[in-house]
Amino acid sequence: MLRAEIDGIKIDVEEKTTILDAAKKAKINIPTLCYEDGLSVYGGCRLCVVEVEGEELLKPACATDIKEGMKIKTHSKKVRDVRKNLFELIIATHNIDCQLNCLTCSRANNCELRIIAEEIGVSKMRLDPIKRGESIDNSSYAIVREPEKCISCNRCIRKCEEVQGIGIFTTANRGPKTVVTTFKNRGMGNVECTNCGQCILSCPTGALHELYQKDIVLDILNDQSKHVVVQTAPAVRIAISEPFSNQAGDISTGQLVTALKRLGFDAVFDTNFAADLTIMEEGNELIERINNNGKLPLFTSCSPGWIKFIEHFYPEYLDNLSSAKSPQQMFGALTKTYYAEEAGIDPEDIVVVSIMPCTAKKFEAKREELAGDVDYVLTTRELASMIKSAGIDFLNLEESEYDELLGVSSGAADIFGTTGGVMEAALRTAAELITGQKLEKIDFESVRGLEGIKKAEVEIDGLKLKAAVANGLGNARRLMEMIKGGEEFDFVEFMACPGGCMGGGGQPISCDDNVLEKRQKAIYQIDKEKKLRKSHENPYIQKLYNNYLQKPGSEIAHKLLHTKYKARKI
Amino acid sequence: MGRKKTIQKIKDSELKGRGGAGFPTGLKWELAADVEAQEKFMVCNADEGEPGTFKDRYLLEERPLKVLEGILLAAYAVGADKAYIYIRGEYSKAIEVFSKIIERARKERILDHQLFDSDFKLELKLIRGAGAYVCGDETSLINSIEGKRGRSRIKPPYPINKGLFGQPTVVNNVESLCCAAEVLNPDSEEFSSLGIKGSRGTKLLCLSGDLNKPGLYEVEFAKITLEEIIYDLGGGIKADKELRFVVPGGISTAVIKAEDLDFPYSYQAFEERNSSLGSGAVIAVSKKHDLLDLMLNVSRFYMDETCGTCFPCREGNRQINKILKTFKEEGKKIDAELISDIGNTIKLAARCGLGQSSLNFISSIIENYGEELKIGGKTYA
Repeated sequence: MLRAEIDGIKIDVEEKTTILDAAKKAKINIPTLCYEDGLSVYGGCRLCVVEVEGEELLKPACATDIKEGMKIKTHSKKVRDVRKNLFELIIATHNIDCQLNCLTCSRANNCELRIIAEEIGVSKMRLDPIKRGESIDNSSYAIVREPEKCISCNRCIRKCEEVQGIGIFTTANRGPKTVVTTFKNRGMGNVECTNCGQCILSCPTGALHELYQKDIVLDILNDQSKHVVVQTAPAVRIAISEPFSNQAGDISTGQLVTALKRLGFDAVFDTNFAADLTIMEEGNELIERINNNGKLPLFTSCSPGWIKFIEHFYPEYLDNLSSAKSPQQMFGALTKTYYAEEAGIDPEDIVVVSIMPCTAKKFEAKREELAGDVDYVLTTRELASMIKSAGIDFLNLEESEYDELLGVSSGAADIFGTTGGVMEAALRTAAELITGQKLEKIDFESVRGLEGIKKAEVEIDGLKLKAAVANGLGNARRLMEMIKGGEEFDFVEFMACPGGCMGGGGQPISCDDNVLEKRQKAIYQIDKEKKLRKSHENPYIQKLYNNYLQKPGSEIAHKLLHTKYKARKI
Repeated sequence: MGRKKTIQKIKDSELKGRGGAGFPTGLKWELAADVEAQEKFMVCNADEGEPGTFKDRYLLEERPLKVLEGILLAAYAVGADKAYIYIRGEYSKAIEVFSKIIERARKERILDHQLFDSDFKLELKLIRGAGAYVCGDETSLINSIEGKRGRSRIKPPYPINKGLFGQPTVVNNVESLCCAAEVLNPDSEEFSSLGIKGSRGTKLLCLSGDLNKPGLYEVEFAKITLEEIIYDLGGGIKADKELRFVVPGGISTAVIKAEDLDFPYSYQAFEERNSSLGSGAVIAVSKKHDLLDLMLNVSRFYMDETCGTCFPCREGNRQINKILKTFKEEGKKIDAELISDIGNTIKLAARCGLGQSSLNFISSIIENYGEELKIGGKTYA
């Protein structure tokens, strides 16, 4: 234990504790900008500098360990003056002008610069803004980059490299010309970007955001000739309230449905229904591969970030991917066929909109193999913004039920929103279909939790099934290397984002350190409270097969619900 | 003599690093030698980039064997079996000369082979710099050798604990290594008998600017005044102009006014005057130069050369340049308070030595000549 004094408060800390963490322990907030939990320390912004007794120069709290007897001042005049000056320097490079750009910014509600300004008590701005004249990167179907707002804190670079293990961003040039960019400045759409959007969650200034489609959708909702159908992903209902309540972990499925109806969608359906369907198709594929000595392990194919990742980095394993489309795409395909027929609407008039916790879904909807199923993809954040701008008092809304035909789902579908969920849902169904007997215990605890890689062995009727689950692409790469190294599995779930879809790049930006735990708890809560908890027991799924698809893996199911992916270059 | 004795001899000599920071060389070697590791590296910093400095270039071109000797001794002392020499990219001749020296040393079994039947064997590799001033900073240089962006690393860990490829690494300047070789040369005069306490031995001076006899000189510490350096060694100011000030150790050091030159050349004498002898680049500046031109020139240099990592250095130097430019172009009053605020911020909060010292020249000009510049006469702290 080391003894130190911060702002006169005596504290004991373990060796290798930074001043920043020690201050937190003493309930002192030190402003930070380039620092982010879970990423390497960068020490660039210098806003966290503090005075250490006996040292003339200030020390960055994020990068300086406490030493025995250290006396630290975190908010002395010397420190505060430097922070204010630093802030002026930062703001001058952030392209602030009075052309509404703060108000229309993607981070208008939760701008980190604004929060820091308050924390350091900024009172004046003496420097003129610097125009760098960089153009917006519109090359991606999913993510837009506005370099003029970028302050080069490198959080996106570190997130992409260290958490996701990809590294599409880099720093180029030196001096004031230093910029964050992509390889050869090709743009995010022309490099190995998986569109996962984790960089958006890390960007403090709104320099990164999704490609907005909310305004187009609002226009289409006003077009009376169109029948606009909406689907909501499992992880949306446990996060959509966050921008309204500023707290994580609330379930607001009913309010979500009401809000969508009020916004004018003609039918409000659930991606969960298609998740149940995915289990039927993917589960069938798994059983077939096991029975017919097919290619194993079978990899899940729900996460479009993961799909693009494997296409770039492990194309030799593409045959291991389940051919089942993702729930979003299955839903779109069915809406324009099955639903159109049942409801007697010309598919040409149907517009399918998805609400997704995901930015990669925007890319998925535009893929040549899948184009046409889904017309527009909105993130959870975009929907929250639409709800706000429509004057809907979200938190106090009455609850409504999803429309029936494609809106009823089992708890197995709800847990698709978290890492381990697809695996557990598949196990519930596979176990019963293989044995023909009812499962006694349907909670598969071994695949739950937030660890990066989970492994489990499940015995079904004498058949030992080796399963693995990875969340976050860095972990996906680690697991792929284990597989390459000879480790054997039968079924592997991959999710591109840390925590799975609930931690997706399209989710509300949270200031809650435990947001993933809270969202995950909410997801399992929904599942627990549902009567229907296994995909194959969903009566509307049974109806769909009876009336339309015949059986899992049928010819028509293959035509509508399955696809193939392609190798991409690095 | 053995490793321990070698290091002790360097320590006893009181040799300080000649690159600019002045860290005791013997202590550095001892610390590096004491670290237990599978592999250690020795790096010779020949990325001489401080404007006005050309001493390492001379040593590399004209005394390459002395440099090689220093590298071998340092590597031996700290227990490194791999060494790098990182030479400034623009130094084409030095690179050519030293490449040949390495080649010959390999042939003569001085490199890559056990030396004189000892257990010591050294591999030496030459790396050509790519033109970044910041790579003269040891941690940036290490990044550059590793193929990474030339940017400083956060210290600690210091290179002696975790440097090149994560291994203990000792980085020494070319001149420091030559001095060390001299210290260990049984035929040379006792190094520690030269100079005074705190400033031992000799120093190479790079005289430039408005002098009649610019060039490279070697002086004994404290036995010559800065005035004698300018007027005797340097032959006085060209074309009978009047001297305004001297930049004593490269443009990252604070200037010394013409009337204040009468003090012995030593580390401590400069420290007392809030300046530094830096790299030994002594630049004489006469009154024919416009002060603002000089400040703009230096400011431009630092603005272009910051690595762009830390905000105070990157944005501060950009803003200082902008402020000086508006003064130049529009002739309006300069906001001395703003310059002072930004200058302080860079000095107190920048991430590496380059940033921290980047405003030394400009702030000393404003401090000494503020009134002349009509910038409010406010003291620049």
